[in-house]
Amino acid sequence: MNTNARVLHATLDLLDRQLRDRHGVLCGNVDDLEVEHAEDGRLYVTHIVTGAGALAYRLRRRRLGRWLNRFSNRMADAEADRSMIPLVLASQIGPAIDLAVDAADLPTHDGERWARVHVVEHIPLRGRRARD
Amino acid sequence: MKKVLGIALGVLSAIGGFVDIGDLVANSATGARFDLNLAWVVPFGVIGIIIYAEMSGRVAALCQRPVFDLVRERLGPRFGAGNLVASFFINLLTLTAEIAGVAIAVSLLTSVNYVLLIPFAAVLVWVVCWRLPFNIMEQVFGLMGMALLVFVVAVWKIGPDWGDLASKATHPTVPNGETPFTYAYYAIALFGAAMTPYEVFFFSSGAVEDRWSAADLGENKANVFIGFPLGGVLSLAIMVCASLVLAPRAIDVAQLSQVPLPVASAVGRVGLAFAILGIFAATFGAALETSLSSGYVVAQYLGWPWGKYHPPTRASRFHVVVLASIVVAVLIGLTGVDPVKVTEYSIVLSAAALPLTYFPILVIANDRRYVQDHTNGRFLNAVATLYLIVLVLVAVATIPLMIITKGGA
Repeated sequence: MNTNARVLHATLDLLDRQLRDRHGVLCGNVDDLEVEHAEDGRLYVTHIVTGAGALAYRLRRRRLGRWLNRFSNRMADAEADRSMIPLVLASQIGPAIDLAVDAADLPTHDGERWARVHVVEHIPLRGRRARD
Repeated sequence: MKKVLGIALGVLSAIGGFVDIGDLVANSATGARFDLNLAWVVPFGVIGIIIYAEMSGRVAALCQRPVFDLVRERLGPRFGAGNLVASFFINLLTLTAEIAGVAIAVSLLTSVNYVLLIPFAAVLVWVVCWRLPFNIMEQVFGLMGMALLVFVVAVWKIGPDWGDLASKATHPTVPNGETPFTYAYYAIALFGAAMTPYEVFFFSSGAVEDRWSAADLGENKANVFIGFPLGGVLSLAIMVCASLVLAPRAIDVAQLSQVPLPVASAVGRVGLAFAILGIFAATFGAALETSLSSGYVVAQYLGWPWGKYHPPTRASRFHVVVLASIVVAVLIGLTGVDPVKVTEYSIVLSAAALPLTYFPILVIANDRRYVQDHTNGRFLNAVATLYLIVLVLVAVATIPLMIITKGGA
């Protein structure tokens, strides 16, 4: 267990906060949290859960949520569950949460990529073509 | 110079946002139908929007978070989602009305049926959102909207008995032939026209994008304390014009084209040209704000990249939502639905939905974790709480009044 844990009011200080990647790009919200019982009896937040599936799950559309999550992992050919981000990757927790990841690797970016490739890039005058 | 540019944000919000198709229709219609018996609602609404916009601008400057981001965080995803659906739908109605307003303004000059012009108006709006330098457009439409000052000139030209006007405005009664229900319904319409939520979505998102900080709080105050009262004066001038010219002739405002009639009769052709230019600028500016707002609310709720300064490839989903909203608004407009009715429903429903976004902002403006030492003062909190009570009463009364009066008929 990570001994650098901070005491936070998880529902107030973490849930529904904005996530930012290492370049400051907005990349979803904290849609849910994964917590673990430690030996000392306390609860520790281990993962930030993000993505449409996680949000649907939290909105009590559990089956839809699980399906969306499986769908997003399958589309990305991911082995692990991509919606789970280890909390140790959160470099700063404030009004927004800065993550040491690239937005493009998160499930929340799938829709962005789809919208760019299938819609935006077919429309003229769109400006500079982005990477990836 | 930067200060001057910053004030332009407030002026656009005042002209394109405060005076938009909602104010043009509501002020004209109530002036023609109720004389000045509802004039008191305008200053009441102006104070409301000043409080609401100042708080959200301050919150945006100090924690770099726009309204809808905070709505979800404070109300939770469930209530936030309901709020999102309601706000998005009302915003879409407003967008439909604004685009129709742009088309009508152009049709007054070209005598082409406005329905045919709706797609062209929408393409213009979309191109600005998509690629044109937004700051310049903001200033252009802000300045063009000043043409609405011709309504003030018209009042002065007509030269009414000012004492009589003042006494009418300060002694409101329910006029003969109207019921207390229609009176209340149109009071809500005027209130909703003054205090439209999209103005605040746009204003606070703009503040975040322009990277406001504590140093910009003065500018925030200047924007709302100069910009919105200016919009209020224009609104009142439109109402007074209608009460002086249309009311004595028993003309009801059923079309947007009737709004500039008093100017035409008092100031003549040049005045009419100014009025049409002003209506075009106000509705176009508001169409920009509402189409961007539809993207803002969705993107901020879901944590997507958003913003008018991002090229579409950097905020693709945001731009797709904006584009889709414009397309849907055009389709609604092309059905030939009455733009005045769409406007009336949009402002009345706006008023009903106000507590949903006003309440979280009021809470956050008192929370040191978000605004540090810049929490609301005691006086502001007293007034803001009074408005919260009024907003809740309005929200409760709106739908029943809509049914009883059959939409203000």
